[in-house]
Order: sequence, then C-alpha cells, then structure tokens
Amino acid sequence: MIRLSTALIAVAVLAAPPALAADFIEVPFLAKRVKDGKLPPIAKRLPETPLVVDYKGTDKKPGRYGGDMRILMARAKDTRIMVVYGYARLVGYNTDYEIVPDILEKVEVEEERIFTFHLRKGHRWSDGKPFTTDDFRYWWEDVANNKTLSRFGLPREMVVDGEKPTVEFIDKQTVRYSWSKPNPYFLPALAGASPLYIFMPKHYMKRFHAKYAKKKFLAKMTKKGKKPKRWTRYHTKRGRQYRFQNIKLPTLQPWINTTNTPAERYVFVRNPFYHRVDTNGRQLPYIDRVMMTVADSKIVPAKTGAGETDLQARYLRLSDYTFLKRAEKRNGYRVLQWRAGNGAQIALYPNLNVRDRVWRKLFRDVRFRRALSMGINRKEINEVMYYGIAFRGANTVLPSSPLAKPDFRTKWSTFDPAAANRLLDEIGLTKRDSDGYRLLPDGRPLELIVEAPSEGTEYTDAMRLIKDSWKSIGVRLYPKSTRREMFRRRIYSGLTQVSMWSGLDFADLRPSNPPLEIAPTEQVQLQWPMWGLYYESKGKSGEKPDLPKAQELVSLLDAWEHAAGDKAKRTGIWQQMLEIWSDQVFTIGVVGGVIQPVVINARLENVPTKGVYSWNPGAHFGIYRPDTFWFEKPGQPAN
Amino acid sequence: MTDTGGTPDPNRKAANPRYISSAPFDPQSVEALTPEQERYYLASQWKLMWWKLTRHKVALIAGAFLLAQYLVVLIAEMVAPYNMSERHTDHIYAPPQAVRVFHDGKFVGPFVYGLKYNLNQETLRREYTVDTTKVHRIRFFCSGDKYEFWGLIPMSFHLVCPDKGGTFFLLGTDRMGRDMFSRITVGARISLTIGFFGVLISFILGIVIGGLAGYYGGWVDNIVQRIIEVMRSFPVLPLWMALSAALPVTWSPLLVYFGITLILGLLDWTGLARAVRSKLFSLREEDFATAAQLMGAKPARIIGRHLLPSFMSHLIASATLSIPAMILGETALSFLGLGLRPPITSWGVLLSEAQNINAVALYPWLMLPVVPVVLTVLAFNFLGDGLRDAADPYK
Repeated sequence: MIRLSTALIAVAVLAAPPALAADFIEVPFLAKRVKDGKLPPIAKRLPETPLVVDYKGTDKKPGRYGGDMRILMARAKDTRIMVVYGYARLVGYNTDYEIVPDILEKVEVEEERIFTFHLRKGHRWSDGKPFTTDDFRYWWEDVANNKTLSRFGLPREMVVDGEKPTVEFIDKQTVRYSWSKPNPYFLPALAGASPLYIFMPKHYMKRFHAKYAKKKFLAKMTKKGKKPKRWTRYHTKRGRQYRFQNIKLPTLQPWINTTNTPAERYVFVRNPFYHRVDTNGRQLPYIDRVMMTVADSKIVPAKTGAGETDLQARYLRLSDYTFLKRAEKRNGYRVLQWRAGNGAQIALYPNLNVRDRVWRKLFRDVRFRRALSMGINRKEINEVMYYGIAFRGANTVLPSSPLAKPDFRTKWSTFDPAAANRLLDEIGLTKRDSDGYRLLPDGRPLELIVEAPSEGTEYTDAMRLIKDSWKSIGVRLYPKSTRREMFRRRIYSGLTQVSMWSGLDFADLRPSNPPLEIAPTEQVQLQWPMWGLYYESKGKSGEKPDLPKAQELVSLLDAWEHAAGDKAKRTGIWQQMLEIWSDQVFTIGVVGGVIQPVVINARLENVPTKGVYSWNPGAHFGIYRPDTFWFEKPGQPAN
Repeated sequence: MTDTGGTPDPNRKAANPRYISSAPFDPQSVEALTPEQERYYLASQWKLMWWKLTRHKVALIAGAFLLAQYLVVLIAEMVAPYNMSERHTDHIYAPPQAVRVFHDGKFVGPFVYGLKYNLNQETLRREYTVDTTKVHRIRFFCSGDKYEFWGLIPMSFHLVCPDKGGTFFLLGTDRMGRDMFSRITVGARISLTIGFFGVLISFILGIVIGGLAGYYGGWVDNIVQRIIEVMRSFPVLPLWMALSAALPVTWSPLLVYFGITLILGLLDWTGLARAVRSKLFSLREEDFATAAQLMGAKPARIIGRHLLPSFMSHLIASATLSIPAMILGETALSFLGLGLRPPITSWGVLLSEAQNINAVALYPWLMLPVVPVVLTVLAFNFLGDGLRDAADPYK
C-alpha cells in the first residue's frame, strides 16, 4: 500500500511522474463550447500539473476521443456506480493494490500518523471553480465538526482510540492530518469503492449552510419544515457526493451526471476539468458520455447478450457465460474471464452468537465446525455448478495473494466423511434417530436450518448438494430462503443457525491491507455479529468475544495496527491470523475464485483481458481506470 | 213441481244411447310413450345431464384426459422412470432423448441411443452428441431408482426404466442432471391436486356459510356478508407472501402442501358463498320449501335435501371452472417465488427455475412444464363448458 523508506523516521513520498509540458489536444466534444467562449481551452482547464497517465509497461495504449459507452444497472439509485467506476479519489489503488496519489499531487506519510496532502494547483471542480484546501476546511470545520450536521461525530476511520486528528491548513494546496498514534485505516478509506469524503465543494454547499446562507434563502428553503434545524436535511441531501444524484453538485469524477432522479436512462457527460491526461496530451476520459439504462437485474443477461451494453459485469454470472459466448460474434462484443476477488463464492456461516444454548455450544466447538466442513463434497459442487474450474476449499486468501499458503485452502476442507464422523462422535453426538441422523445432546434431532437470501438458484442448488453429502455424516439440512433484509436481521438477533453467503469480500490480500475481515470487527460478519458489534460500538453494545481464538484475532489485529511501517512484522501477523482463521474454520468455504464474465464492446480498448473483480478495494472496474478505456472507430453503432 | 233432476230417470238411457267403451280407463292411452321416450322422460336429472354431456364431444375428451391425468397422479412415482430428485452429474443439461424402434434397419423394440458428453472449454457449454453405436433398450415393469410411494412405502418398481448402464431422459435434464420427465410427472401431483383440494375446501365452506346466510337472512346474513367483504378486500399477494414465509421449514413437503392448499381454500370460498346465498334467497320462498317447512323439516334438511339439489348442477359446473384458476394461481405464485419452493416440486416451481435467458436460448426443454399446464387448464375449461351446458337439461 505505502512504500516506506528505510529511514527511522519514515517519510513516504507518493508522487506521480512529473507532468510533461506537452501540447494538449482539445476535446472535439467540447470544441464548440470552447469556441463560443463558454469554456476555457484545454490548457486552462487542466491543473498546472495534471496527472499524466503513462501506459508504459502495461497492456494499455493511448486512445482517441469520442464515443458513448452504454451500461446497464438494476436500480435508479445505481447512479453511484459511476462514482465507483469513475474512481477519482484523493488517493487510489493501482492494479497491484498499492495506494498512489490521484486527485492529490503528492502525499507525505510520516509514521503512518501524519498525513500531508498536496493538492494540484489550478485543479477545478466540474463547474470550473477552484478546488482548494478551503473545500477541506469547509468539510472539517462546518460539516464534520458541526454538531447539528454530524450528530454522530467523525467518521470511524478518522478516530484513533477516541482521538480526533489535528488538521492544519498550511496553504491553498496543502493540508495536514495528524494523530498521535498510527492510523492505518485513513488512506484505505479515502481510496475505497465508496470513499470517505473529507472535502466538499464549499462554493456550492455554503448556500445551504446556516452559517453562510443568506437568511432569506434559508428561510425560503426551510419554510416547509417547522423545526429550525431543518436546514441540515437540505444540506445533507444536496451534498451527497457518493450518490451522484444531485446534478448541480460539482464533482471531480471523470463523468458528471446530467439526469435527475428518477429516470430510466441516465446520461453522464465528460468532466471538462478532469485532472488526468495521457502522454499524448489528450485529456481523460476518452469516452464522451456514459449512458446508464435501468433494467431489471434478471433481464440484464438477456440485454447483454443482445449487445445492448458496452461494459458489463454486474448481474452477470458464470451460468450466463455459455449464453453470452454464443452471441459474441453476432452482436459485436467480447466476453472476458475475470476472477471473482472474494474468498469464496459460497460459504457457510455457523452463527456463534445464536440464541439457542445447545446450538451455540456446538457451533463454538471447533470440532463441530471442522466436521461440517469435511462433510461437504466440494468436488461435486464444483463440477455441477462451476464446470470444475473454481477453486475448492476454505474461505481464505486467493492463491495470487502473497500471503497465501497452499494449506489455507485445503485444511479441514477435503471431503472426508469418516474423519468428520469421528469428530462428531468425539463431541458426543452419538445417538441417532431411526433415519440415521444424529440427535442433539438434549434429544432434539440435529437439524441445521441454513438460511440464504432468496436470489437466484445458486444458493438453493448448493444447499441441495450439501444436504446430500451431509447425510453421510448424519446431519440433516433444511434450506430456507428469506428476503435480504430479513436475512441479516435474523442473523443479528441470533435466530439464524447457519447462513449462506459469499466469503471474504476481498481475498487478493496484501500485508498492508487491514486484516479487518478475519477478526470480529463488524456486525455484518455473519459468523459472529454480536462480537463484531461489540468492536464496532467500542463495547457499548453487542457481546464481548469469549472464545479464546476470537480474542486472539482481535489482539493480533491490534498488534497489526501498531506495527506501522514494519512490513515484515505485518506479514507475520497476517499469516498468524490466517492460520488461526483456517484452523478454526470460523466460516466454511465451499468454492472460490469463480469466473466473473465481463462483457465489453469488441471495439472498446484498454480493458484488461484478465482482471480481478471485487468491490473494495477494486471498485469493480475502478482500479482498471475506465477513464482510459476508448472506442476504436467511435460513432459507429455497436452492431 | 216437476222432477227436474235429482234422481236419474231410467228411461233416458234408452232415449240417449251413447257408446261406452268397456275397456279399462287409461288416461295416457293417447300420448303413450315408446320405451325410448319413456326412458327419457322418466330419467333422473343426473342421467339427463350425462346424456347431454355425451353429446359435447370435446368435453368428453377433456374429461377422459383429466381422468387419465389424475390416474397418473395416483401412481406418479411408478410412471416416472427416475426418482424425481436423483441427480445425474454426468448428464447435466442433457437434451431430450428420442425413443426409436429400428436400429440398423432392424427392429429392436423401443430404445434410445447413448449420449456422449463433452465440455466445450471455450464456451463452457455442456455438449452432448448422440452415440449411435450404443443402443439402450428401454425396460418395462422393472425395478429402478428407489422411492417412497406417497412418501410412505419404500419401493423401486417403475413402469418404465432406463437400460442398465444407460439413460432415458425423455424430456432432457435440468441444471443438476435431474430427469425432467420424472419431475414433471411427480410435480403434477402437487399442481393437479392443489386445485382439487382447494376447491373442495372452498366448496364446503361456501355451501355451509352461504347456505346459512341465504336461508336465515337477517343478522346472520349481515355478519356473513361483512366477513366476506373484509376477506375480499385483503390484498392476496402480500398475504400469500406472509403465509408462505410463516410455514416452518422443518415441515415435511407434504405438510407444507396441505398448509398451502388450506390457505388457498380458506381464501377462495367467498365467491361461492355469495352465489349460494343469493340462490337460496329466491328458492326459500318457493312452495316446496314452505311445504317442507310446514311438514316440520329441520333447516339442515331443507337446505341439503330440498334447496341445494335445485342448483347443484350449477355449482358443479362453476367448481370445475374454478379448478384451473387455482392451478394457474399455484403456478403463478410459485413462478414468482411466493408459493411452493424447492424441494417441493410442482409445475410452477419447475417453471420458476426455468425463468432465465439460458433456459430460453440454450436449454428450451426446461420450459416444457408449460405444456401440461396449458393442456390441463384447457381440458378443465372444456369440461366445465360442457358441464355448464349440461347442467340444466330441461332447457
């Protein structure tokens, strides 16, 4: 993530290559507005030091301007996906998952606790107004620290052991955030798929802010609301930079939303003031407009097969691959095989916080979890559902991760009913009913109800297969489909025994990625929601982990946090945690590394043929930089 | 005073001679019936209905078809060549196999050719080619996959079985390699009987409640009408969602099925109750009803013995017409994922599994459950049509 020098007081300078004073090539799409004097010419629009994207050493090549890119999304609120795909961040991940400056010209990191950000001089918002540290100051002083606007205090990533950062606004281009202890979560949050915003377009937002707004305007705005604090609602609603719904809100993204919500079709137009250029002097993005059509997620594969999209991976599954491949030539697109970046496509989560005491005791017994895992015939599931091309085994890091060890995936996860039966007998589950299924110590049948959100047939098929292989270890499985909201709520309240969901969100891990996902840190971790909540709320709610191994994971996470700058130590801690994770089988992975079909227009260039498809980090296409994608022969219809 | 009448005058007989037949008096001698006519005129209402129905050829054929279907439903597991949930992981998405009789110009009896499987690495398509060197003769009255007859008796007898070491996928297989024909056959049990039992329940409820309301009128009628109005104003879809979520997952498929049948029936009786009520309103004023009343018959007897038979034929016709509505209802709800869910298999469940572009483009045989749904609903409609015509044979 952060390249650190070997000096004792480590000062990392992450800097983009210096700008070449090339002659910039004007964008034809904007030429008329420039000619009419409505827009300044390209050289004036770019920052003094734009980010020059050099394709040397990559498979990408410089492109040309023009073209409309069509994408399909399922809901109107998916306008936010263009913030994800656009992926303009203060700092962002590159394809090796290292954090590099993007909007920022330079970042200086000292001891992972003092962060100095250098903005680009002359950088402008999409409406042409300057982007300076004033925008950071506005957010810090008038939004984040305004008690009425931010009732819940600062974002989690900005608080270290209860300590707020000291923020210094050094000049128009320099701002410094410093804590007394290391904060390894700050930069990753800024680089996230759904990023932490620590700035806001002051010139636009201040008209909604009680401190700056003209009294008349404010009165008019809040007339309908009776409470005097109502202005905060307007401020919050207008200022959501991630949602991308307020078309008047200035942005730094490569494409700007121009369509009001709700709509069936959204048009995103290129940002004339975007800060990245290629080595030939062309301003990115190459593509002028992005058209986002809203269609039901079930229809998306069909529409994709009909060639109605130029860049699509969302809502496409491996089972659609054959269909997509069939119409590949006829409809002028290509199907690429990316790998899913999650730890497992399907994983089982025994709820260690289940309410029922008998079940809880069983789930907390590592032998029981191991037995369940060894009772799954992963080979069959892989053959039947994934053509035998997925990785079988536990929910853990992908083989491409430098942290991976071969036995992480195989440990306790090879089909071995004899060993599993031995473990179950050892626990004392020796009594069986007339059908050969085991009984719980209190005489109830050992019936595991596995819950999954009712989306598609993938989960129910997997459960069907697991049900049959668990028969050999005397465990009965009942599948239950619930709606997604209900699904989580039931787990949080301890009603669900076992749930089925995808594995680790991101498994192509590097030692510098925080090991949050494999320690009890969040309520959304389905195997220990109460412990996660405890960590998340800093002990205010939830339950304290009382399993020694889980406690060990928490303390190791703490050690990782404090090992700032010591890469070897962090790698060691990571590996220790992963070893506990796979030895304890807290989650039961089934298969992972499934192929994610990515469909692109055959004329769309610079899309990597191999990639990892993940949400965070990765931002789906984000780290592959869709602003560098371009159309060979733009303007032609797709077919 | 002259004698004007009173006693007959014996002399007048002679004065006014008339022919008097000595044959015994027979009032119907003029309009005497041929035996055929007699049979017709003396036939009961039901007999007349049957005769009228037999003249409606389409209805008869439909009826026979339905009868055959319900027979299959009784022994569905035997008719199916495979156990419905048996997976053939080497034959995922296998296409339907054609039944042949001649091999190499020689008669060998019904057989299928073997399938050769190959995974196309480029398109990830499971491709099957017919291997004409392998002849798999179909076995009849044989022992094959094990199953539990009616979920109770373990058996392995099938009417048709695949050859040993061979396959017999008459309608192809699905994404888990399960035989579609077996699934459709066994799925018919749920789909066909859910309408039947649902209508039965709603019939009983409708007649009893509607009958009471119609016979007594007054406050009884008032209360029943208000209840019906409330029930009719329930939004059915959310209610279904709630009820299907409320059925415990540990229930056996059989219980879930009965639960859902019950729910269907409990929601459906209102229309019938209203029809019965309005009919009774007019019938109870008839003379024969009053007569029965005066003779001291109890209300239950009057309703059941005197009033209902007057329009029973009408009720049967309307019930026949509402069965397909229930079958379609189950299919639609299961298709939407609100009704039955796997592992329970009905036509609606099978169709909901086929609702993706892959089924349409690559595996069209997955949509075959549509065919029996269409045929059954059509058959019920024809039969209902015939019954309605026949229902009033005196017209």
